[in-house]
Amino acid sequence: MAERMEISIAGDGSMRRPGRLNLRHILSSEHPLPWLFPVTAVLIAFGVYPLLYALWLSLHKRNPVTRLSVFDPDWNWVKILGDERVWNAIGNTYLYTGIAIFVELVLGLAIALLLDSDRKGYGVLRALMTLPLVVPPAVTGMMFLLMLDGSFGVLSRTLYALGLWSPAYPILATSSTALFGILLADIWQWTPFMVLIMMAGLRALPKEPFEAAAIDGASATQAFFRLTLPMLSRIIALAVLIRGVDLFRIYDYIKVMTEGGPGTATETLTAYAGTIYFKNADFPYASTIALLTLILLLITSAMFIKIFKVRF
Amino acid sequence: MSPSLAKRLLRDLTAIIVVGIFMFPLFWWGLTSFKPTSAIFNKDEVVFFDFEPTLVNYEVVLLGKSRAELAIESGNTFGVGGASSYDSRQTIIDSIIVAVCSTALTVFAGVTAAYALSRMKFRGRQGYLNWILSQRFVPPIAIIVPVVFMFHFLGLRDTLLGLIFIHTLINVPLAVLLMKSFFDDVPVEIDEAAMLDGATRFQIFRKVVLPMVTGGVAATAVLCFIFSWTEFLLSLFLTSSIRTLPVKISTFVTSTGSEWGFISALGTSAIVPSFIFILLVQKQLVRGLTLGSLKE
Repeated sequence: MAERMEISIAGDGSMRRPGRLNLRHILSSEHPLPWLFPVTAVLIAFGVYPLLYALWLSLHKRNPVTRLSVFDPDWNWVKILGDERVWNAIGNTYLYTGIAIFVELVLGLAIALLLDSDRKGYGVLRALMTLPLVVPPAVTGMMFLLMLDGSFGVLSRTLYALGLWSPAYPILATSSTALFGILLADIWQWTPFMVLIMMAGLRALPKEPFEAAAIDGASATQAFFRLTLPMLSRIIALAVLIRGVDLFRIYDYIKVMTEGGPGTATETLTAYAGTIYFKNADFPYASTIALLTLILLLITSAMFIKIFKVRF
Repeated sequence: MSPSLAKRLLRDLTAIIVVGIFMFPLFWWGLTSFKPTSAIFNKDEVVFFDFEPTLVNYEVVLLGKSRAELAIESGNTFGVGGASSYDSRQTIIDSIIVAVCSTALTVFAGVTAAYALSRMKFRGRQGYLNWILSQRFVPPIAIIVPVVFMFHFLGLRDTLLGLIFIHTLINVPLAVLLMKSFFDDVPVEIDEAAMLDGATRFQIFRKVVLPMVTGGVAATAVLCFIFSWTEFLLSLFLTSSIRTLPVKISTFVTSTGSEWGFISALGTSAIVPSFIFILLVQKQLVRGLTLGSLKE
């Protein structure tokens, strides 16, 4: 399958005599095929094939004892529509993605404006700001699990001491607040992503419009909303898309911090699929939920790309 | 003069406080790794600096000392028993092997494909690029069940080779798109001049263009290494005895309590190499994070 696909991509354009494949030419370095072969092979073997396999699994009813599969598309897909935990997970996924993107973008833009200075010391601050990005997300989850611990966590204790929180409701063990505890970890880790991208965007802005605005007596706030923001819009859309795609499949923090609990309060689609996989061992159903995640992600990002005209 | 000076100072102060807030979790994490258990689990007050620093946590996770040995040394054997499952030496070695090999594979595959996509004209080129980009949109969970079945069948489950392949898969789109942006920065005229001199494509790639993008290759390699080093979901699903660092750390949380001293010691050890690497590629970071579409 790999080879057929490549030949049809590459062969059409570079073939001198249509209808005849010149094997020696195709296998030489003048032809794109050898160059593209490793990547194509990896992506097809470990990406495309498993995805088709997942689709096949979701369309079959699997007998867990005999391990025989019978074609029955309704089995998993009708089950998914009637599964309240799926709807709960969809809600949590969008809520989580939405809040995280909004907070990270606003904070990121603010911090980028704050740190965008050529003065001494700011370079160090900017470098420090990138550090959270490379912490393994599972470790970040652990950090916040430790800090948010109901009895000895430094953040919880500070909130109790300030009278802002009651020890009777540990943040991660209370249904209404657990998701925000996880969001804290996400925001800490990924706000720097937005800071970096917004900073690059600010650096690339032309100076002239701002000089003209200053001459016309525009205030800094006016200049920000009328000039900076519109000129950054393309980069903002790109950053939101890249971040959103990763947020939609959020798993690491949830797995290590709450495992979807308390109850199903922090269960996102990926977390639910993981639970079905590890606890119920219902592999086709886990695959179906995962495919639903992919479908929703594709629809949402396609709409986003269309509305905000994102270009890579 | 003085109002602007005050403004400047206010800005400096705000910047330092904001960055300080973002550094606090790292500071606290590192601090915890040097704390004795009594200071970590103190329920009466939060312990900042009022403790005897200890290397015990590192001795357990990095040197493989068992808790029984430590208990005998310290003379306090209360509640200590069982073998040490906190020895993480093998985990660190495995993580390094997986990250280095998958990075090498990814960079090799990515650089060659990126060169063709940047330099050769063929029908379906844009389509191929879009296909690569679309792979970045597929959540790992969507492929994990079939990959588990497939690896089971091929005998790759719970092996380093399996992890290397799957980490290569997740990093390949980034490597191709990022390297293409670096190749695009090199003027095509250079290739054309070499071609007039009779060089083959491979010679041009090897002798002329590749040496001009070594910085880009290094940046790509660093990012691939970090993403493999920090990857969690796929490693968790695909392994049960071999564990990468993030997965190993998550197993230290048990229903009877979490060993925060060991967790933070291993966590800190896992972070340090990433920090060193990321500071080396600061300049290419934005380009890497946006898949090559934004240059600084």
